[in-house]
Amino acid sequence: MHSLHSRLLLAASLVLAGFIGATGLALDKAFHVSAEAAMQNQLQSHIYALLAAANEDENGHMMPPKELPEPRFSEPDSGLYAVITDHENKPLWHSTSLTGRDINVTRQQMPGKRSFSEFTRSGIQLYVLTFGVAWEDYAGTEALYTFTVAEDATGLQTEIDSFRSTLWRWLGSMALVLLLAQGIILHWGLRPLRTVTTDLQQIEKGRADSLDGDYPKELTGLTSSLNSLIEHSKAVQIRYRNSLDDLAHSLKAPLAILQTSQPGDRDRDPDDGQSLLSEQVNRMDDIISHQLQRASVSGRATLAKPVPVGKVVERLVRSLDKVYREKQVAVNLELDAAATFTGDAADLMEILGNLLENAYKYCKHTVLVQVRTDPYTAGVEISIEDDGPGIAADQVETVLQRGKRMDESIPGQGLGLSMANEIIAVYGGQLTFADSSLGGTLLRVTFNEQ
Amino acid sequence: MHILVVEDETRLREQLRDRLRECGYVVDVAADGEEGLYYGEEYPLDLAIIDIGLPKLSGIDLISRLRAHNKHFPILILTARGNWQDKVDGLETGADDYLVKPFQFEELEARLNALLRRASGWSKPVLDCGPISLDTGKQSITVSGKPVELTAFEYKVLEYLMLHAGEVISKTELTDNLYEQDYDRDSNVLEVFVGRLRRKLDPDNSISPIETLRGRGYRFRLQANSG
Repeated sequence: MHSLHSRLLLAASLVLAGFIGATGLALDKAFHVSAEAAMQNQLQSHIYALLAAANEDENGHMMPPKELPEPRFSEPDSGLYAVITDHENKPLWHSTSLTGRDINVTRQQMPGKRSFSEFTRSGIQLYVLTFGVAWEDYAGTEALYTFTVAEDATGLQTEIDSFRSTLWRWLGSMALVLLLAQGIILHWGLRPLRTVTTDLQQIEKGRADSLDGDYPKELTGLTSSLNSLIEHSKAVQIRYRNSLDDLAHSLKAPLAILQTSQPGDRDRDPDDGQSLLSEQVNRMDDIISHQLQRASVSGRATLAKPVPVGKVVERLVRSLDKVYREKQVAVNLELDAAATFTGDAADLMEILGNLLENAYKYCKHTVLVQVRTDPYTAGVEISIEDDGPGIAADQVETVLQRGKRMDESIPGQGLGLSMANEIIAVYGGQLTFADSSLGGTLLRVTFNEQ
Repeated sequence: MHILVVEDETRLREQLRDRLRECGYVVDVAADGEEGLYYGEEYPLDLAIIDIGLPKLSGIDLISRLRAHNKHFPILILTARGNWQDKVDGLETGADDYLVKPFQFEELEARLNALLRRASGWSKPVLDCGPISLDTGKQSITVSGKPVELTAFEYKVLEYLMLHAGEVISKTELTDNLYEQDYDRDSNVLEVFVGRLRRKLDPDNSISPIETLRGRGYRFRLQANSG
């Protein structure tokens, strides 16, 4: 069941079928009950008519009716029958219609009491009402009689059957109409999803750049997230392409130097104690690691999980403590546990790793790391300071300027800082330098609202 | 000093082996993680150089397996990708230092020396015992402030003894750590070297830094100067 459409349709159809079935049953039952009540009333009025038609003899005893109020009592097998019995349940009289039959449905009944029931006698279904009557003669003696009226149920059954078939026909066509309506509603309701799918396919085929249709507001969250994912991956792609471009270009320079150099030059030690070969090899290594680093920065992704900054700082400090064990660096951490970085954890680690290593390398004994959050902008500020010699202003300039193109390479230090600076820039953050109160450099990274 | 190099790149592995041997180390090499694990578990090592990206068993897994087997020798990791995630993962698993490829051999040697010294409990690059001072960085010796010229082999013997100052070092242990396995290991040669070393360090026989314990081996007798 992988289609939303068939899922909804199946569920709705089941609910609809149950609902319509229950409605039908209830209506059927109600009709049945009311038809029987009407039958009982009708039989009752037959009994009253018989009572009214009964006569008295000279002593005041009851005489069975001669003129029958209802012609069907006089027709044989008419389906309407009447019997009068005495207090011993002996029949005193029966209607002409009952001639030749014995339906034996009489029950002794106390005066004023009645009972309505259904019988099946010799294959005929009958509704039977018995009614007890006390008849006082002139001497004041009461005689007890029971009037029984029975009617063939066939007529009522036919009526019920016809009601039933009409009912189910109506309900059935209603269900069909409802299902059809539901199908149409579903089709219409789910259309935006299909639109998004086709639009995505257009993007896949390269015919569109983003999802920019007019989508219902339930979908705009999804589509705008998709759009930023698409944008993000496009940005990454561009960064890759630019880095590869730069990489190729900037490797050309040292390669050209090596190619044009004389074989003797390559091993000769120049004044700085480095051979031309190893100098250019180092330069190429710097270029490669720098450009690869730039290319692998993810940038701020929309669906990235916030990374706790303090945890990353702690991991790096533990690792650096190990590497710089001999230096016995005293690191003071003031970390705000709530500070998070929205982006790739590896990028944050790269930024902080480079900055922290710089501090470990140049400090005398002490490094201070502070991580703070700005409650107004939800930004994060990370400052790393040391008690080392500090960085000169022109060096700061170099570090921050470096990187765009590595053609004018300065081998050695500063590469880590300039890499960190570039990653920070990708995330829209800032790296600033200041003099630390500890005596060395204060490096401050700020990321604005995330 | 016995060093294991686990590196899958044949050229680099052989270069490292040759240059480390030139420096007087005993070197075993392994081309993948599983072989590295075998050497690490079966041989008494003083240090391992492990590449992070190894076939069969990754460098990180190799380090954690070695540490899980209570192997406490220092480990230096080599990583081609200089990213911090790799470095931190390696160091957290139990490595002691890292080096990003490509590197200058001199840089590697300096790191090795520092790790070996640290593992022997020396925190400074210069080992001072009485009047004898050995600089592991410059590989030079002074006695009472005067430089003493030693051959590379004599230096290695002295360095090993001083790094284990106060401990009895058997001749077998000393030869194991100074010669390759398939090398001719004649203990008389070692005695000759120790004798020569004694004469160079202590020509007038006043400090007797190296003791001979009959049937057991040698011991560097002088204690490390405090501070």
